[in-house]
Amino acid sequence: MASISTSGFKSGLKVLIDGDPCSIVENEFVKPGKGQAFSRVKVKNLKTGRVVDKTYKSGDSLEAADVIDLDMDFLYADGEFYHFMMTDGSFEQYAADANAVGDVLKWLKEQETYIVTLFNGAPLVVTPPNHIELQVQQTDPGIKGDTAQGGSKPATLSTGAVVSVPLFIEEGEMLRVDTRSGDYVSRAGKK
Amino acid sequence: MSWRPSAAYSMLKARASLVAGLRQFLSGRGSLEVDVPAISAAPASDIWIDSFEIRDPDGKPQGYLLSSPETYLKRLLAVYAEPMHALVKAYRANEHGLKHATEFTMLEWYRPANKDVFATMVQDISDLVVLFTAFGAPRVVTYRELFEAQFGLNPHTVTLPELTDCAISVLGPGAIDSQNLDSMLSILFATDIEPHLVNHIVIDFPVVQASLSRVEADSFGDFVAKRAELYLLGIEIANGYYELTDVDEQQLRFINDEVRRIEFRRPVVPRDEPLLQALRHGLPESYGVALGVDRLLMVITGNQRLAKCMTFGEVQ
Repeated sequence: MASISTSGFKSGLKVLIDGDPCSIVENEFVKPGKGQAFSRVKVKNLKTGRVVDKTYKSGDSLEAADVIDLDMDFLYADGEFYHFMMTDGSFEQYAADANAVGDVLKWLKEQETYIVTLFNGAPLVVTPPNHIELQVQQTDPGIKGDTAQGGSKPATLSTGAVVSVPLFIEEGEMLRVDTRSGDYVSRAGKK
Repeated sequence: MSWRPSAAYSMLKARASLVAGLRQFLSGRGSLEVDVPAISAAPASDIWIDSFEIRDPDGKPQGYLLSSPETYLKRLLAVYAEPMHALVKAYRANEHGLKHATEFTMLEWYRPANKDVFATMVQDISDLVVLFTAFGAPRVVTYRELFEAQFGLNPHTVTLPELTDCAISVLGPGAIDSQNLDSMLSILFATDIEPHLVNHIVIDFPVVQASLSRVEADSFGDFVAKRAELYLLGIEIANGYYELTDVDEQQLRFINDEVRRIEFRRPVVPRDEPLLQALRHGLPESYGVALGVDRLLMVITGNQRLAKCMTFGEVQ
């Protein structure tokens, strides 16, 4: 792959650092009046999710990482791999392992569209949509008419995620949930 | 790219008023504003300053865009020995960032002085801060004090391996590869000291960063560069030099810069012979200060982006 010098650094750029695919989060040009110029970059390791600060001399270069984000529908899990299919009509399928799916497991729902990040052609990370609709599997019955109190209770959703919901929510209801915070957003209508 | 100006109308007004105020500040102190060419035959010798070379349509070199009006002001000073200033556009290739632009506005002034040259210069810079900002008089600190407090190292005697160890512990392993002393000092200073300098004048720099300033022993007996640098809100605003007048020393510094340019594979540029001749003729005891007008405006208006303080700034 091509190498990219500091003048080409910008946020969102995918590069290889110590063999790991990383994404540049922030790039700051640092140069004392008479001194050498540097790029201070915040990079996110796409494998571990960790963000670290790095400093490069101007003119240094990094190798571009073969990383792309693609929209894919989740099909099924076979116990070892999680299978996704491209939404572009190509029906191309990819198998992600538990590492790639990680915490997203609790938001994994069939027929839903996810962003699958490929590194050298293999799934590296799976990112859920910001909002997802899931059914309530189990929750204790709430007290009728107690909505004014604004109390909450735990509810287990069809994917296994546990979210805090208002007391009036009942089993079997469809809820809209924010996958970034894990917060209940609203009811999505009954099913 | 947008055709629109990057500055708001209120910024244009703040800019006009600052520029008028700066001119008044200097002329009120007996300084004469002079007009200098935008092009010079030789660029700055400093290894880390990239000047734009100009060519005519036939490809013949025509000189360099000024990275500062220093050479012309010193040649004027050698002949007239009077305080003078120039407000110019300065150009530095490959400088782009939130606080950098390849074209920017620089105010540079020179003043001959018979005694207390350095102290007078520091006072000049301090007065400017009091007059143009709400910060009050800046704190004057030595480079040594700051460096010792932050890293426990004497910047004037530290060795490259010691600095490298320090950089690894500060910036993380592998965060930076082996550097020259000057660059290691720079990166450590820029990363861990500069952000804390809210209203400070830093004096007595390491000799490797002397550029065209005089070198003297400090009270500890270490040789230091007689430079004074103003920082506001963590941003480098102005840079003052107790000017080097010794022509032989100046020639040595040029040769040293040329050697370093070769060592670091930077383009070797023509030597500024007219400046050497001016020094041979005789430069009066003097100091010179260069001020980044756009950056001062950033601080005055509380703007984080240099581009917003320039009429047509480079949009990132």
